[in-house]
Amino acid sequence: MSSEFEPTILAFVCNWCTYTAADLAGTSRMVQQPNLRLVRVMCTGMVDPKYIVKSLLSGADGVLVSGCHPGDCHYINGNYKARRRVKLLNEILPQFGIERERVKLTWVGASEGNEFAATVNGFINEIRELGPMEARSMAVV
Amino acid sequence: MRKQYGALVVGAGIGGIRAALDLAVTGHKVALIDRRPSHGGILSQLDHQFPTDHCGMCRMLPLMSRDSSSQYCLRKGLFHDNIDLILSAEVGAVEGEPGKFLVSLNRSSPLVDPTKCVSCGICSTVCPVRVDSEFNAGLTKRAAIYLPVPHAIPNHYVLDLDNCQRCWKCHEACPTGAIDFKFEERKDFHILVADKDPEVRAMMEKHLGESNFPLHFTENGAEAVDLLAESDRFRLVLLGLDVDGMDPERVLTRCHELHPGLPVVILTDEARREQAEELVAQGARELLVKPLRSGRFAPWLDKLYMRIMSDTTVELEVGAIVLAGGFECYSPASDPAGGNDVWCYDHPAVLTAVEFERLLSGTGPTGGKLLRPGDGKPVRSIAWLQCVGSRDVKKNADFCSGICCMFSIKEAMLARKATGGEAETSIFYMDMRTAGKEYQRYRNHAEQDAGVRFVRSRPHSLFPDDGGGIRLEYLDDEGRLVPETFDMVVLAVGARPPKGTDRLAEMTGLTLNDWGFAQTRQYSPERTGSVGVFAAGSFGEPRDISESVIQAGAAAQAASRIIKAYDVLAGIATEPEPEYPDVSREPPRTLVAICASCPTLKQTVDIEGLAARLARVHSVCKVATVGSACTPQGWADIEAAAGEFKPNRILIGACMPYAYIPRLKELGRTIGLNPALMDVVDIYTATFGGKGEDDGKAADKEIHATLATAVARLQGADPTPPPVMVDVARSALVVGGGLGGLTAAMAIADHGYGVCLVESEEQLGGSAMRLHTQLDGSDPRKYMEELIAQVRKHPNIKVFTDSRAVLSRGIAGRFRTAIASPDGVFPLEHGVTILATGAHEAKVYESGLCVHGSVMTHLGLEEKIATGQLDAGALSGVAMIQCWRRRSEDRAYCSKVCCPEMVKNVLALKERNPDLPIHVFYRDIMMPGFLEHYYTKARKAGAVFIRYDKENPPKVAFEDGKPVITARDPILREDVVVRADILSLSSGLEPNDVEDLQEVFGVEVNADGFYREADFKWRPVDFLKQGVFACGTGLGPRRMGETVASAKAAAQRALRILNAETIARETVVATVRHSLCSLCQACVAACPYGARVVDLEHGRIKVDEILCQGCGACAAVCPNSATVLKGFHDGPMMSVIDAALEEPA
Repeated sequence: MSSEFEPTILAFVCNWCTYTAADLAGTSRMVQQPNLRLVRVMCTGMVDPKYIVKSLLSGADGVLVSGCHPGDCHYINGNYKARRRVKLLNEILPQFGIERERVKLTWVGASEGNEFAATVNGFINEIRELGPMEARSMAVV
Repeated sequence: MRKQYGALVVGAGIGGIRAALDLAVTGHKVALIDRRPSHGGILSQLDHQFPTDHCGMCRMLPLMSRDSSSQYCLRKGLFHDNIDLILSAEVGAVEGEPGKFLVSLNRSSPLVDPTKCVSCGICSTVCPVRVDSEFNAGLTKRAAIYLPVPHAIPNHYVLDLDNCQRCWKCHEACPTGAIDFKFEERKDFHILVADKDPEVRAMMEKHLGESNFPLHFTENGAEAVDLLAESDRFRLVLLGLDVDGMDPERVLTRCHELHPGLPVVILTDEARREQAEELVAQGARELLVKPLRSGRFAPWLDKLYMRIMSDTTVELEVGAIVLAGGFECYSPASDPAGGNDVWCYDHPAVLTAVEFERLLSGTGPTGGKLLRPGDGKPVRSIAWLQCVGSRDVKKNADFCSGICCMFSIKEAMLARKATGGEAETSIFYMDMRTAGKEYQRYRNHAEQDAGVRFVRSRPHSLFPDDGGGIRLEYLDDEGRLVPETFDMVVLAVGARPPKGTDRLAEMTGLTLNDWGFAQTRQYSPERTGSVGVFAAGSFGEPRDISESVIQAGAAAQAASRIIKAYDVLAGIATEPEPEYPDVSREPPRTLVAICASCPTLKQTVDIEGLAARLARVHSVCKVATVGSACTPQGWADIEAAAGEFKPNRILIGACMPYAYIPRLKELGRTIGLNPALMDVVDIYTATFGGKGEDDGKAADKEIHATLATAVARLQGADPTPPPVMVDVARSALVVGGGLGGLTAAMAIADHGYGVCLVESEEQLGGSAMRLHTQLDGSDPRKYMEELIAQVRKHPNIKVFTDSRAVLSRGIAGRFRTAIASPDGVFPLEHGVTILATGAHEAKVYESGLCVHGSVMTHLGLEEKIATGQLDAGALSGVAMIQCWRRRSEDRAYCSKVCCPEMVKNVLALKERNPDLPIHVFYRDIMMPGFLEHYYTKARKAGAVFIRYDKENPPKVAFEDGKPVITARDPILREDVVVRADILSLSSGLEPNDVEDLQEVFGVEVNADGFYREADFKWRPVDFLKQGVFACGTGLGPRRMGETVASAKAAAQRALRILNAETIARETVVATVRHSLCSLCQACVAACPYGARVVDLEHGRIKVDEILCQGCGACAAVCPNSATVLKGFHDGPMMSVIDAALEEPA
């Protein structure tokens, strides 16, 4: 893998927990790699799988879905719905030549700014290792 | 002009926030104050709460009219249209009467101008001072100028004047000039010194030259008064006690007459200190003891000057006062009796519970890693010591703090989790008080599944160990002295009344109990000794979150009644809802304002290039670069640009987007644009840490993408339509005529709404009517009879006994219920439902109950004692067994009422026959809060308490019809045989059967048959189904006072719906595009709020806008994209993704 490769990560983060954590990471001046594109949604439970697939096809090298810890969801159970969806996607994506590692689900609570920075930086590194998504160049959209 | 509010809430912790929100959502203006510079109370320091180990505080936010309040993490910040949050403020004086209290607040200035501070943190770096950080409970250090809570909004730095060294370095370093030490105004700060001591004058003239204060000296009191009468230039008077001409008391009085509010400081010598203190009591600001030393005097004067110049008083007029000061944790370090020698607290391996909580937190000193302070060694064994500073008569703490058992279990579980199960956790306790709902299960889970060790023993000594840990010595079950070494010891410190409670009590006229908490009433725990002043949260008694929230609801209810009774709202003009022009037909025109003030952005990003590229993004009509968006100047620039270019979308790129939310509302009002069409995004984070040119380019790209994404989102934003008028049936249905139901009915009826009370029995009163006395000697029956009489004659309440609700349809605000009464079935329209179905004494058919006359339940014994059927003098022995068939596998809950009931009987028997031997077999005595005091009394009275284990319950046999109890005494370590005349059993509470009601009202119960609330901690009296509430023992075991509190809290929640005339439409709410809908109903199943129903008549899915919370779960499951979440349509979402990933041109 080329060390020149800089991945682009798209993160769907929930309004209540992870977005707040992202804000905290920012205001706490934590160092984050500039590869992240943040999309705020109300709840991870509203992340339609087609948004994830669309992101991968439109140029994202990895998609992170991050919400409240289990039991913490502001909307009671949205994060469980997200968990089911991402699990299924992880099963399906390899059949289309997309590595399952490219879609990841994490829980980051509102006060865990450092956790957010660490998760994001870790994921960016993982995808950097993985390299650019080859399936995209072959896909017929 | 005093600002008018419906209520003042003192303390912005959980209780205060809940009370303020409960009042605010029913339309009352509330002033919420806290003496700290941040909101959230102790909870801002705690990341996890029992019994879920999660947070979820945001669930307290309003469910209706959501846009009127903040829609983000509640730990970060809170705003609500009806709440004015005033921080760093304390109550200075209270006058007036219920309905019209005149309150002045002393607001201490942060000395940092919040409109200028950009939270860059440079001041903190240059500050030479390092003191213990309050936020991290002393585990880290902070500067004298610091961020009180790192995640709070708004987060501006504050200056801690007490620890400031006045080096002025922060002032010099601040890039925006936000720190104001008032250098310029010094020359106008005239000080009048009236003192005869020549040394004082000499010292001041010699050493105060640099300070620039104009000084005026006189030795004569009369002359001083003349000088003050002549001019109003004096800002401070230093008054010696030995002045000539006029006695100092008279001078002080004249000072106040001539210039009210002019600070006077008394100079005294040690001998006349008492006289000086008297003058302070009469209104002097403080006293200084001579001789004055320049080294101390000059800094003191400087700080006093800054306080006088910067601090402000805020005058309010409020209808009612809610006190929610919470509690403070017992501090072993500041205990005059010495916490260090007993608990080794000065050792780095000994932490208090709050310190441990910070250690586990991601924002704590170790970032959540369990490392020992001091040597940084990973912690592998931890001991918790319970009852530190609680249940301790020697420390005037003959009460149980009620929360420590649970938070210790939680911390033990968190510690196991944080170390991947490697840390051994042991809890040393006297009684594990798990009296709350589901708490016993939590404990069982901790013990059986999570591997937390519970040791019933009170370690008597702690010794520092060579390895840096602590050696505990304790007696085990066999009576052996066991030494055990732990890496860390956590002290489960108890609660103490908050500082300043006595002063607050003095001002508001309330009485305090023996331990310094507010004295409240037995049957209305929110009422204090002063009318119109209410106790919320744990101000009246230490409470956990759930109980605090309920208590806050009850206090809000009481305050709301006062506001209603005195018609406080009559004088308060309400601001009309702003109306925004409809821009939905206009093509989007976006103004992008980029804040370019911070040095980091300038260094790394080519702002001009960025602006040029952004200008090419679709719909952007103008890119403006402003100085600093957070300053008034920068904001004015944005306003001007908005005025010039008339955009219908505004995007601001700056830092800390949350801080702008209230400002956007304001901006919207000024320029006439709906704030839903504006957004602020963070463009600074990307620039941190980047150093090389490449990084700059990457940051460039990221910032561009961030802004372009936000533009794309704004393009797709839906303007909010006007509010909906709702047709609410303005009456309530209360099911259950016991204490809870009656109280809730009264609370709602007193607000002028109709109530229909349905009771299945022939009589009102429920199980409370079976009680004869209470521990405090009050007569519960009398109270119940009065309450029943009030309900019976209340014009707004209709009572139906021997009746049931058999069918109910509809949603919050519009229920139709069929009531079956002896006169037939009739329909009822009502807006809300309160279920107060209660509980009953469980039936026990063991140990000879119902067979032998000598065996009875506690309730039966109480009745026999009270009615005189039982002659205590003729008895030769009484035995009692607690937790009979409770807290076991099938009934894993504590009934909460049996221990007080047992103690009540013990005390009643002992009063009649002091020599009567009484043996009580127990597992854990559950006497939380001030009830502990009665337990102490019962032990002092001579009752013998013998503990037993669940595995070895006492065996009961009968000889000649009399019970013989055999049990193992863990202290004597041998079997004891107790022969008694009477055996009294605690049978506990069982919820009344509500299987029919579950179906009728669509509510759920938990495994024990108690109602399942929406959220145990944050919405403890709500059901998930909106418009239906629960209270009393049907919800979980509670004592009478707690039942009353829950009933009032439920009533207050219900009033929110009954009060509603119009409901503002939300910005984020789901809708259905019927032409695309295939009626598959996947969305109906996915909705967690039951906001969707199939409208069979019209063949479509109906969304209830009140119930919908805008989570978007429905949109994600819809196969046709027929269901959409406003602002998050597929179209805009796709454009947002495209914009985020697009390479800038």
